[in-house]
Parts: sequence; C-alpha cells; structure tokens
Amino acid sequence: MNVESILAGAVAGGTSILYPTLGEVIAERSGVVNLGTEGSMLCGALAAYAVGIETGNPWLGVLAGLVAGALMAMVHAYVVLARGANQLATGLVVSFLGLGLTSLFGQDYVGRGVEALTDWDVPLLSELPFLGRVLFQHDPLTYLSIVAAFAAWWALRRTRAGVRLRAAGERPEVLSTFGTSPVRVRFLAVTCGGALAGLGGAQLATAFTRNWSEGMTAGRGYIAVGLTIFAAWDPLRAIAGAYLFSGAEALQLQLQAEGTSLSPFLLQAFPYVVVILVLALLSSRRLGAAPEALSRVFEGRAA
Amino acid sequence: MLATFFRALGWRGALGAAGVVALAGVAISAWSDVQSDPGADDGKLTIGFIYVGPKDDFGYNQAAYEGSLAMASSFPGATLLQAENVPETAESETVMEGMIDDGADLIFATSYGHFEFAQHVAERHPDVVVVHQGGLEEAPGLPNFGTYFGTVYEPVYTAGIVAGSASESGKLGYVYAFPIPQTLANINAFTLGAQSVNPDIETVTVATGSWCDPSLQAQAAQSLIDQGVDVITQHQDCTKTIVEAAEEAGVFSVGYHASTQSLAPHGWLTGSEWNWGPLYTDIVGTVADGDFTNSDYDGNYRVGLQTGTNPFVQSDYGTSVSSSTESLVEEARERFVEGGSPFAGPVLSQDGDTVWADGEQPSYDEVETMDFMVAGVIGQTG
Amino acid sequence: MTTPVNDAPAVDAPGVEEVPAVVSISVATAPDARGGLPAAAGVVVRALRWLGPPAAALAVFALFLVLKGASPAEAFEGMWRSAFGDGDAFGETLLRTVPLLMAALAVAVPARAGLFNIGGEGQLLLGAIGAQAMAMVLDGSLPSAPTLVLMALAGMAAGLVWAAIAGGLRVVTGMNEAISSLLLNYLAAILLAWLVFEPWKDPNSLGQAYSEELVGGERLPVIWGDRVHLGVLLVAVVPVVLWLVLRYTPWGFKLRVVGGNPEAARRAGLRVGGLGLAAMALGGAIAGLGGMLEVAGVEGRLRPDMLVGFGYIGFLASWLGRHHPLKAIGASAALAAVAVGGNGLKVASGLSGGAVNVLMALVLLAVLGWSQKESKETRAPSVALRVGLRRSAARARPEAAVAGVAVATGEALDAEGARA
Repeated sequence: MNVESILAGAVAGGTSILYPTLGEVIAERSGVVNLGTEGSMLCGALAAYAVGIETGNPWLGVLAGLVAGALMAMVHAYVVLARGANQLATGLVVSFLGLGLTSLFGQDYVGRGVEALTDWDVPLLSELPFLGRVLFQHDPLTYLSIVAAFAAWWALRRTRAGVRLRAAGERPEVLSTFGTSPVRVRFLAVTCGGALAGLGGAQLATAFTRNWSEGMTAGRGYIAVGLTIFAAWDPLRAIAGAYLFSGAEALQLQLQAEGTSLSPFLLQAFPYVVVILVLALLSSRRLGAAPEALSRVFEGRAA
Repeated sequence: MLATFFRALGWRGALGAAGVVALAGVAISAWSDVQSDPGADDGKLTIGFIYVGPKDDFGYNQAAYEGSLAMASSFPGATLLQAENVPETAESETVMEGMIDDGADLIFATSYGHFEFAQHVAERHPDVVVVHQGGLEEAPGLPNFGTYFGTVYEPVYTAGIVAGSASESGKLGYVYAFPIPQTLANINAFTLGAQSVNPDIETVTVATGSWCDPSLQAQAAQSLIDQGVDVITQHQDCTKTIVEAAEEAGVFSVGYHASTQSLAPHGWLTGSEWNWGPLYTDIVGTVADGDFTNSDYDGNYRVGLQTGTNPFVQSDYGTSVSSSTESLVEEARERFVEGGSPFAGPVLSQDGDTVWADGEQPSYDEVETMDFMVAGVIGQTG
Repeated sequence: MTTPVNDAPAVDAPGVEEVPAVVSISVATAPDARGGLPAAAGVVVRALRWLGPPAAALAVFALFLVLKGASPAEAFEGMWRSAFGDGDAFGETLLRTVPLLMAALAVAVPARAGLFNIGGEGQLLLGAIGAQAMAMVLDGSLPSAPTLVLMALAGMAAGLVWAAIAGGLRVVTGMNEAISSLLLNYLAAILLAWLVFEPWKDPNSLGQAYSEELVGGERLPVIWGDRVHLGVLLVAVVPVVLWLVLRYTPWGFKLRVVGGNPEAARRAGLRVGGLGLAAMALGGAIAGLGGMLEVAGVEGRLRPDMLVGFGYIGFLASWLGRHHPLKAIGASAALAAVAVGGNGLKVASGLSGGAVNVLMALVLLAVLGWSQKESKETRAPSVALRVGLRRSAARARPEAAVAGVAVATGEALDAEGARA
C-alpha cells in the first residue's frame, strides 16, 4: 500500500473538490443553496481550457474560468433571489444549463493541447521525504486552494463582510436593521461561490488533467454540496471533506494497480459509498450547525 | 377593445405570440420538406455515419470521422449525414431511421454497441445497406448487412514488442474502461508481444469505468507509475491526459487510436492508430456499384496483414526505439502476413490453464469473444 | 410591466412614514390581466402570456445557436421533424414520454410531501434491473400477461427500495434526501455496469455488453407502428391514479399537509417521518415502473448506457408542471419532444446533442422565475431586491429601514419557502 501515493493523489485530485466546496460553504452560510455548482465548474473548466488554448496563457484561462463560474452562479442568484424561484430546483436547472452550454461550445476543444498550469515544487519543503511529495509538489492553484480555505475561515470570523455574510444566513432581519440588504449580501455570496467553483473547474482542466471532455467534472459539484454539510459549513473542515473523497478515489485506483482481487466495479463505487456513509453517520450532528435560513430549504417547505 | 387586448397581453403575451408564430413557421417548413420527399432516388449516394462520442475526441470517433471525410473526397457527389454522441441504446435506431428518412442509402454504424440496432434497421430496410464497425454477425447474415474491422491486435502486439524491449522495470501499465472482449484482447496482445522479448513482463491493469474521464485517468496513470510501471498505454476514447502524465513522470508511453507523439517527445515509443479512409472508400465503392450482396463486406470482414491493408496501423517509432527492436517487429509482421496470429500458442490464462497450446491459434471469432486475461496480467475482469 | 411600487413615496426619503411603503408593497400585485375582456379573449391572453417565458427561452437558445455558427431555422426544423415530422416521429416522442413521465411523477409525489427526490435516474435503472431479474427467474414459465405484471411489480419493488434508502437515511440520520438520492444515482449506474459485464452478461452475445434478451412474452406488445408499445397507455392511467390518491384519499391529504408545513403537521400528530418515507418509496416505485416499461418496451435488455439522463429530465418535467400529476403529462411530453428533437438537431446542424439540454434548462429557468402564477408573494422578492439595493445607499431613516425592508425581506423569505 503506497500511502504516499494515495495521499499525494488525494491532494492533487482534491483541489477540484475543495474549491467548489468552499464556494458552496460561502453561499450556504449566507442562506442560499446552490446546486448549480456543477454548472459553474463545467463552465469554468471549459472557459479556462478554451481561453488557455486561444491565448496561450494558462493564467488568463484561470481568470476566464473564475469569471465563467461567477456568471453561472449569478444566473442562479438572480432567479432565486430576485424572482423567488425554488433554490434546489433552480440549482439543478443551472447545472443542466452548464452541461448543455459546455457541450455545445466545447465541441471544438475536445482533446486539443493546452499550455498547462505546470506543477511548482515548493523550494526546500518539496525535498522532504514523505510530506514533500504529498503536500509540496503540486500546481499553484492547489496551494491557493488551501490559502483560500484559511482566508475564508478567517474572513467569516473576523471581518465585517464575514459577519454580514453569516448574519444573512442566520438573522437577516438584524442585517437590515443596520442598513444592509441581506438579499444583496446573498447575491454577492453566491457569485463569489460560483467564482470559486469556476476556479475548481479551471484547475481540473488546465492543471490536473490538461484536457477537456464533456461532463468531465463527473458530479464533483454535487459532491461539494454534500461535503458542505460534512464540513458543518466550516471552510477548514471542507479541506478534510474534499481530501476524503479524492483520497477514496486515489485509494481505489491504487488498489487496482496493486493487483487486488476486489472487483473493479466495487472499487469504482467506493468513493461514493464513502461519502454516503460519512454523511449518514454525521448528518444528525452536523445539521444542527446549519445556518438558520437553510433549514427552510432543507426541510423543503412546500417545495 | 383591441387596445385592451393588447394592453392585457403585455410583453409576455407578445413574446408568447411570437413564439407560437415561429413554431408554426417551423412546423410548416418541416411539413413541406417531408412532402417533397427527400428520400427520392436522385442517383446520388447519401451516406450516413453515426458515432458514439464526439467527432473530435482525438481518438476512436475522430478516426472514424476523418475516415468518412477521406471517403467523401473520393465521391464528390455524395451527401454525407453525420450524427455524433449517439448512445448505444435504442435511440441509435431512431437516429438511423431518421437518416434513412433523409434519403440514406448506406449507413456506417461505427461503435461496437450499435450492433444490435444496426441489424434491426437493416432488417426493416432491405434496400438500405448497413455496415457495422466491429461487431460479429451470426450466419446466415442479411444480404444488406455486414460488419468490418481491422485485426487491431496485430499492431497492438508489435507495440507490445517495443514496450517489452524498452521497459527496465518489467512492468507495463494499461488503463481501460470496461472488460469488453476487444479490450481484453488488446491487453493480452500487448502483454504477449512484450513477453516475446522479456518473458517476465507483467502488465498492470486499472479500470476507470469510463471511456473518457480525465480526472480518473490522471489518478490511474499516477497509481500505475507509483507501482513501478515504466510504459503506459490505454484503451480509452481520449488519451491525452494519460500520455502527458506519463511524459511528466518520465515514463514511456504507447498510443492507441491516435498518435499522440507530439505530446510525449521523450517517452513516445510507438502506438497504433486508425486509418479508415481506404476501407470506407472501398465499401462505398462496392455499394455504389451495386455489388454489396455476397461481396466480402456482406459478412464479417476482417482485414489484417494477411489479407490486405489493416486499417489499424502501427504509429511511428519514437526516438529511443533501437533498430534491433524494429527488426523484431518486422519479424512479427512477417509471421502475421503468413497467417500467424498474435495469440498463437502456447498461451496461458491468469489461472495457469493452457488456453491455446503450442501450434494452436484462435480464429477471429474466438479472439473477438475473449473473456480472460493472459498470465502476467495483473488485474480482475470484474 | 412595472408596478406602482417603483413610484411609491420613496422609502429612503427622509421624513416619509414607513407605512405607505408597506402598503404600496402589498398593493404591488400582478395587475388583473383580464380586466374588461370577454372570457374567450381572456383565455387567449392568459395562454399567450403563459407562453411568453418559454418563448423567450427559445429566443435565447436561438441566440446561442447563432453564436455557435448554426442556423436556428435549420436546427429547429431538424428538431421538429425528428419529434413530429411523421407518424414514426410522433411514435418516438410518445415512447420517450413514458419513462420521462414516470420519472417526473417520481419527483412530484415526494415533492408534495416536501421532499426532493433527485434519484429518479437511479430508480429508473433499478426498475429495469428488477424487471430483467424477474424475467430471468420466470424464464418463460408463465404466459405473457402475468409475466409482464410480475416484471412490473418487481421493477416497482426495486425502485421503491432504492428510493427508500434515501428516504430512510433522512428519517434515521437526518441526511438530506436530495444529496443521498443524487449519490445513489452514481451507484445505480455502477451496479448496472457490473451486472451487464459480469453475472448477467448474455452468453450468446458474441462480446457485446448487454444482458440476456427479453423475448416473446417478456416484451410489451407493440400496438402501433413499429415500436409504440402497450406501456404508452399508462401515460393516461398512472397520473390520474396518483392525482386521485393525492387529492381524495386521507393519506394524500396528510401528505400535502406535511408538505405545506411540516411543523404544523408534526404538532397535529402526523407522523412526518413515516409519511415522507412512504412518499419517497411511492416515487421510487413509479420510477421503477418506468424502468420496467423502458426495458420491456423499447430496449429489450439491460445495457450500460440505457436511460441515461431520463431521471434528470423527469425532474425538470415535474417542476415544469409544478408537481401536479396531470400537468406532468404535458410537461413530460414537451420535454420528450425536445429530447427526441435532439436527434434531428444532431443530423441537421452538426451540433452536439447536448445542445438540447440548453433549451430545456432555459425553458425551466423561464418557468421557474417568470411563471404566470403570480401573487403577492411572488412579487415581493423583486421588490425586496430593488428596495434593498436602495436601502444600502440611503441610511437616512433606520426605523423606516427596519419596518419597510424587514417586511419586504420577510415576505421574500416566506415566498421562497412557500413557492412550490
């Protein structure tokens, strides 16, 4: 059992799950569930890939991915917040839209070569025997994702914007007392969440796989929504959740490569089973930590 | 009154009315198209192609698509109908029927799982020729239906020879989707070819459960590399991620479906790729001459080095391949021209049973229904 | 079509009482569209207004097509021919409506109880698997009619169990059923792949990846044309039965109470958890029936790629019809036409078939956000957005802010919850 390989794979593959999870944490903390994260990720992936090819600059691609993800989330935010549509349904529809748009416009980019975001080894630290490979030999967006998680955690606790965001999710009336519109805060939060999801898609396409293929996110956006609950809406726990899923994926492939006698089909199911089990075991406790405004959505009042 | 009506209608109503008008226009236009009977025989061939995936996947489907274009250049008057992303379900029948409605005289069903549906369509339309890529028709077949394929295993075997010569660790890696016979035959041919150079070669296999899931591919390639594999190949629809992962890790790569040599300047050994143009052109020519029934194509047509020009060819060699290896490949090719098979015995299964003894070799049918892995392959079929 | 609220005495103007703001917000209802018109014209007006948002969606879709370099006219014509061009095309659309409708009802029934069943995709597959299993077990020992009935029951049982996993997880652990049912979809697909490649692989298949064929009495008889099978009759039957159950039985009533207000239902002594689980189970059973109809009517055996996407489109259809069983028929038929139209789109314009997902999504967004079912609660959110945005700018009168915006936001939050 090559633990070093599994953990390194967990981190490398986990970045594209961490970003959308962080984004969803932010959105849900403000009181909005965004199932459209999958759509934001796909659009981010395609935008990053396409712009990376057309301009030859992967960082411009990353920026494009961020913007694309934000735009998709803005659609969700608008229809939910300004038009009063049901959150869960709208989110799924937005994901569908993302799937269709990227299928439509991504035709020309399948399999083409992109200037990839190459790995950057952290000087000195990447030489470390075990941790070097696991933590310090990844692409820049992976390092950024950890930074973003810590930044989000700190921002939610210590900045005025963070307090406002949490208020929008817990006590929106209090927020309006101080002259801020909770709706506006939510709009910004959802957009920000979409930008992070787009970033996750960008990392997937330009750094981790260096490829574009229809539907390549394979449900990561939805897994992220599940992991948000696992993380009890805490950005730091989101890291654990993301690496748990991608670690399970790395583990099952590693087991195959080692020549296990387990069926490949069983192993393919493993990551999903892990998420379901973990959520099943932890949901009853975690849901208590949910932002007030979400209880309405999750209880599904008449929706 | 009218004013009240329009005011009540508002923007929404106006949009709705516009939508209804537009839809009516589309319906009328479509109806008149159907009336004018495009199925009429205008003496020109209409040829339809259905693909299971996108036509620019840098792999299987793109190869078929490029073949269709190459063929079309030989038949300038023909009309080409293309449909990609046609799933291997009853829906493919609907698509083929639609093409026949549009006047198709000949249909190429290019993906393995389209077989049954292609057969149904052929049964229902005796005046349309349907050919399927990769399937096996049971005798007696239909007079307007046939299958075709190349003996894929020959270039995969010779690629295995190159891989076996190049590998220092003695471990090869194979990423695949599902344990279909073609895949198992590929894995086995690759392994046998490598073992002809180094009998201790092992092939480690990883199944991703998908024909193209780049993130699983990236993880799979990395797992293989971490197990000491130093040559990676795959049976996937898209191969870019795996080849680039191999190149970055400094291991050799062997291509499949399409040449990705440009992506792996150092590690590229060889590969196998499709060249469908000549075969497609010949099939269309036979149909155009009205000679399809009872021709070679009206049945299970398999072309390989023995019988003609294999549409599956070996890719160019990479820079590190030595000339002695190249001669080994030439020797193998000559054996095949003489009628030898990559699976000529003695061949043992993973359990140690002798599948084909010394002097025996399987028929095409046996190869294309293969359901086991040979000794030296590490992995489970399911 | 703006309302007087925009011209209301500005809430942010100093010295203005907040009460007029509240009054003007609540007065901002949708104008009576039919004022002064005869009934027939009124119907036409309402119909056209209702078609407005979907028409806008079509227009946006056409715009995307143009951006991609395709001709909308050619594309739409290709789609129309594929879905309605001739008898065969109609048949295809009708055939596609069957599983989509069952998947839609699988969403609608739990939705009435306030639950989100996104697992239609997996439940359809389990239904097909259950039906195939029953056929394999019976192995032709019974005549066609009882075989088909047993296959249907087996399919429904399998779908029921799969949905009950998600429902049960919710009851026992509180895990949200939307996420669990979604994850179960992925597992169902892997299960199907395993069955088809390993234990249930057709020994006669010469290498193809599918299960044994359903033959003779195991297939639904064709009643029209080449392919339209008996199962299409259920399109008329099942929704009606469900509608009757929901509307006229005590159980249906309890379900709707739970869906309307779970807290109140709990206090009234209703077993909220059990009712929710039952609703999920029933939804799963209907989807299972859909899976059986597809495998016995169209596909003829299990295949790894079967029914892909049908569950999600069914989800969209249920929302399109506002979770009303009868409206689900029309909604499913409409989306079936679009889905079948995708085949024509591919051939006519060379576009990827996934393009129709864009159209479906746009239509759904239009209906979700701009549905004609307008009421006070619907209007409030957009008011809140506008008032709220102004609120942030002018902090002149905090008291006015509290009363005016709090009411508006409160209504907005209520509206979000109350919208079905």
